[in-house]
Amino acid sequence: MPDDQRVTLKVGFAEQLRDIEVQLPAGEPKPWDARSELKVVGKPHPRVEAPLKVSGAAKYTHDIVPPNALWAAVLRSPHPCAVVESIDVAPAQSQPGVSAVLALVKPGERVIFAGQDIAAVAAKTPEQAEAALRAIAVGYKTEPFVVDTAAAMQDGAPLVHRGKVTERSTEGDEPGAGGSAGQRGNIRTSPSMKKGDAHKGLRMAKVSHEATYTTQVHTHSALETHSIVVQWDGPKAATVWCSTQGIFSVRDEFAEVFELKPADVHVHTDFLGGGFGAKFGASAPGSRMGFIAGELARQAGAPVRLLLDRKEEHLCTGNRPDSRQHVKLGASVDGKLTAIHVVAHGSAGIGTGAGVGRNAFGIYSRCPNVLVESHDVFTHAGPGTAMRAPGHPQGAFALELAIDELAKKLKLDPLDLRLSHDEHPVRRHQFELGRKQFGWDAGRKQAAALRDKQARVRRGFGVAASIWGDFGRGKAVVATVSVLRDGSVEVKNGLQDIGGGITTVVAQVVAEVLQRPVEAVRVRLGDSELGPSVGSGGSVTTASVTPAVRAAAEGVKTQLTALAAKQLGRKPEEVTWSEGQARAGSKSIAWAELCKKIEGEAVVATGTRPETYGAYPVKFMGGNSYQIAGVQFAEVRVDTWTGVVAVERVLAVHDCGKVMNPLTARSQVQGGVILGTSYALTEQRVMDRVRGVMLNPNLETYKIAGARDVPRSIDVVFTPVDTGANNTGAIGIGEPSTIPTAAAIACAVHDALGVAVRDLPLTPDRVLAALGAVPTRGAG
Amino acid sequence: MQPFVLSRPKTLAEAAELASASPQDSALRAGGIDLIDRMKEGLEAPARLVELRWLGEADREVLRALGPGDERVQIGALVTLAQLAAHEGFGEAHAALREAAGSAATPTIRNAATLGGNLLQRPRCWYFRHADLVCLKKGGTACLAVAGENKFHAILGGGPSFIVHPSTLACALTALDAQVEIRGPSPRTLPIAELFVTPKQDSKREHALQPGEVLVRAILPKPGPEQRSGYAAVKEKQSHDWPLAEAAVRMSLRSGAMTDVRVALGHVAPIPWRSREAEAVLEGKPPSEALFAEAAKAALGGAKPLRDNAYKIPLAQGLLREVLHRVAGVPLPE
Repeated sequence: MPDDQRVTLKVGFAEQLRDIEVQLPAGEPKPWDARSELKVVGKPHPRVEAPLKVSGAAKYTHDIVPPNALWAAVLRSPHPCAVVESIDVAPAQSQPGVSAVLALVKPGERVIFAGQDIAAVAAKTPEQAEAALRAIAVGYKTEPFVVDTAAAMQDGAPLVHRGKVTERSTEGDEPGAGGSAGQRGNIRTSPSMKKGDAHKGLRMAKVSHEATYTTQVHTHSALETHSIVVQWDGPKAATVWCSTQGIFSVRDEFAEVFELKPADVHVHTDFLGGGFGAKFGASAPGSRMGFIAGELARQAGAPVRLLLDRKEEHLCTGNRPDSRQHVKLGASVDGKLTAIHVVAHGSAGIGTGAGVGRNAFGIYSRCPNVLVESHDVFTHAGPGTAMRAPGHPQGAFALELAIDELAKKLKLDPLDLRLSHDEHPVRRHQFELGRKQFGWDAGRKQAAALRDKQARVRRGFGVAASIWGDFGRGKAVVATVSVLRDGSVEVKNGLQDIGGGITTVVAQVVAEVLQRPVEAVRVRLGDSELGPSVGSGGSVTTASVTPAVRAAAEGVKTQLTALAAKQLGRKPEEVTWSEGQARAGSKSIAWAELCKKIEGEAVVATGTRPETYGAYPVKFMGGNSYQIAGVQFAEVRVDTWTGVVAVERVLAVHDCGKVMNPLTARSQVQGGVILGTSYALTEQRVMDRVRGVMLNPNLETYKIAGARDVPRSIDVVFTPVDTGANNTGAIGIGEPSTIPTAAAIACAVHDALGVAVRDLPLTPDRVLAALGAVPTRGAG
Repeated sequence: MQPFVLSRPKTLAEAAELASASPQDSALRAGGIDLIDRMKEGLEAPARLVELRWLGEADREVLRALGPGDERVQIGALVTLAQLAAHEGFGEAHAALREAAGSAATPTIRNAATLGGNLLQRPRCWYFRHADLVCLKKGGTACLAVAGENKFHAILGGGPSFIVHPSTLACALTALDAQVEIRGPSPRTLPIAELFVTPKQDSKREHALQPGEVLVRAILPKPGPEQRSGYAAVKEKQSHDWPLAEAAVRMSLRSGAMTDVRVALGHVAPIPWRSREAEAVLEGKPPSEALFAEAAKAALGGAKPLRDNAYKIPLAQGLLREVLHRVAGVPLPE
């Protein structure tokens, strides 16, 4: 193995390229940089598993039915707050088809949200399991509760937690975020983010803007609900199938709960029907699913399938917290920001993690004074959980709309105001690029003309920015690449494909290195016995996995090069590869021939990824990784007679380092935009404040954007950046792509109407109210 | 969902007989859209479902009829929303029905949902639909929307229940002055307005059918040569959502004046809401933007909003103005 090496990398973006020196650890391949000419990576390639998915052959956790498997069902609390006085599960035991029954609470225990685990059964059919739950007798003494965020903040509000609340962190959380700086009543304060003196900056300001912005609770609503199937393989070993974003988090939690060795828990996730941050560990954030399925299976002596229904999925599996953000901005008359001050409160139900500050703190960095104060507010409702860019979409909404409102007071173009305060060269480049491509200047003029003549149907144009970090993880992944004597190529890793297309990208990386067709690479993922890997959270997957895969492929290639040298009678350093053939001088040997010379079964190499070693040109706050940039532009059409907002166009300009597969990357950005549009226009958890229960735990009145609601067009533009971060140059895109969408749409609605709608979602009632069309509220 | 017996009688009389027991014992099933929803949600568990789609030829013909019979349009109870939306026999005169049918739910649902089921479905109110809550409609003492979350509830004709009637076809059929024919122990034909029950009459039900009665068809009167109509809805979500408000309008334009004007609003009241106030403003007058605004104002004049639904007043006014412009052929302002 060679020693540590210094290499020169050409990094940067667009025309702004430069050489930097990077120290590489021993054995690390030289990173692909702006000089690299790649044939497979960076080219569009359809998902290799697509035929399985569209034909129904792909097996998701919901499709796993081990022989003799039983159905589990969970009895859930109908009360938002109650003390369990009695519980008798015995009557369920004698119901038809029932094999096991579990009480999940004891008399004297307090339940603190409607939907909390009470008891569970396993039976032969789902109908029998459901019927058995009805036989369980539970006595409750109901207690006062609070589900409304503002009401929970009042002195004297019913307390959700009687003691100090500590965080349970998952791989879905944004690295470096969170922590506590004290708790009072239902309010738990997070550490402030502070730069300069925001109070002084506000006092100095000649022009200021102050307003409160609110956002709603957003449930994850993955297509595949939380599900786990457990089969015991003897008393001390189990096989678990789980719909998870983190196979190893399932393994470790299941092993911990049942006091097993992690190696004796074998976890499978062949296919995953979506995950947005709530699918880590063997349990859901608000339901002990791993314990329930495991314990029922143990008692019944048969495999157990626990598949949540859509109602449960809304009630107890986590959500994006709501927020109430009081924003104060100060500026000089010539439009220089003197202060950004955000005081945010948000409800994560019974959980934590309602912070919103990174956009306000990190993007408009020329503002010298910034203070962001975030507070979790506890309510008697299902827990919050990291959800696709936790805190960011709500933070972006308040900050960006406030910036637009300030720009209006300053009589400045809001895009110019942003450009004059954002120091990130890539984001500035993206703003400029988008301005031209989107037709910003002409659009804003058109919007102003319609506004001036009080047109019935208006147009509006908005823009907002995204900030995220390259959190690609070092030393977490071990990938294995094998080349067999028959010439076939296999790559293995215990990673789950969350749906973004990593299976295809892994095949591309191996195909690139070994000069084989992508289709010839067999990718095996989704199994805890295939080598350590990362959870799919924090937009880390591609950046963490592809460098390890490349290192393994390069390791195999080194061995094959030595073999070729031997066959060709040359030294290894004289061997070159082209079009899948090893050449030395005038001699060459074809792939198939070379592979036949492999001694034994196969040539095998493993690869890992070192810590991130480059972060050009801008670092993410408080870290040593690259700050990912993105901007989105939105055009809306607003009917002022009915208040309906339609999103006509979104232009998403993003940076995801070196784009591995433009087809799947674009698809991920489109997904981010669609999620953001749905959040902007319709999605909202509705709690009944009188009874403390969720009123829309379904997909009928919990409204997710359909085909007619998504933007008429979504244009995705990548601005590739070589950051020097790792040997493939990949960085994340999943989360950054959904951060600015709702903010850009809200800014566009502001442009259309001339007044801001400061509450998400932007439903017709709010648009009409902002226009002053709604008469005095009725008596109630 | 609990197990049930599925019966497939061959005659309407047999079906009516099987369904004459209490709702706990049996339910008629056509498209099954709302019924199966209610069973899955744990609201109802009828022991027997009586299929209407497997009747013998003669009865099926009546229930599936669509088109001119005599001089009137007959629409069998088993005609699907998709068939209504695609029916070429509907001209300008009946455009409201075509547009209403085509706007409801999703293509998949419209392919199964029937006229009868659409008219007789139960409300979508989230208190009524919540299996754990006992609202006024389920034998409770109060309409939970009054103190609760009432954004989607009634602003007209509410009390003691504040549901909005869920049927999209009902709104259009009210504007088109339809009648409905009922078979059972005492066969009868009713003006559509009499099919619906207000909460003041009986807060537990939305229609007047008794167990053992079957709605077999709707009948539209013969239109005059100048009749035209239109329908539109406003929804929060444009793909598969229940309307915030609907408006359906019928009129004849003769010598530059509007006559035989019918205005119906949907999703604003516990029944399809005919607005005689708006009709009075419009009747006999030449169409104009100012007159439409006046009519819309009159239509919502009696509105009594709850805490969260006053927005429905300007929204329904805007919607009605839009439909009036379209039906009367007066260009909408930009």
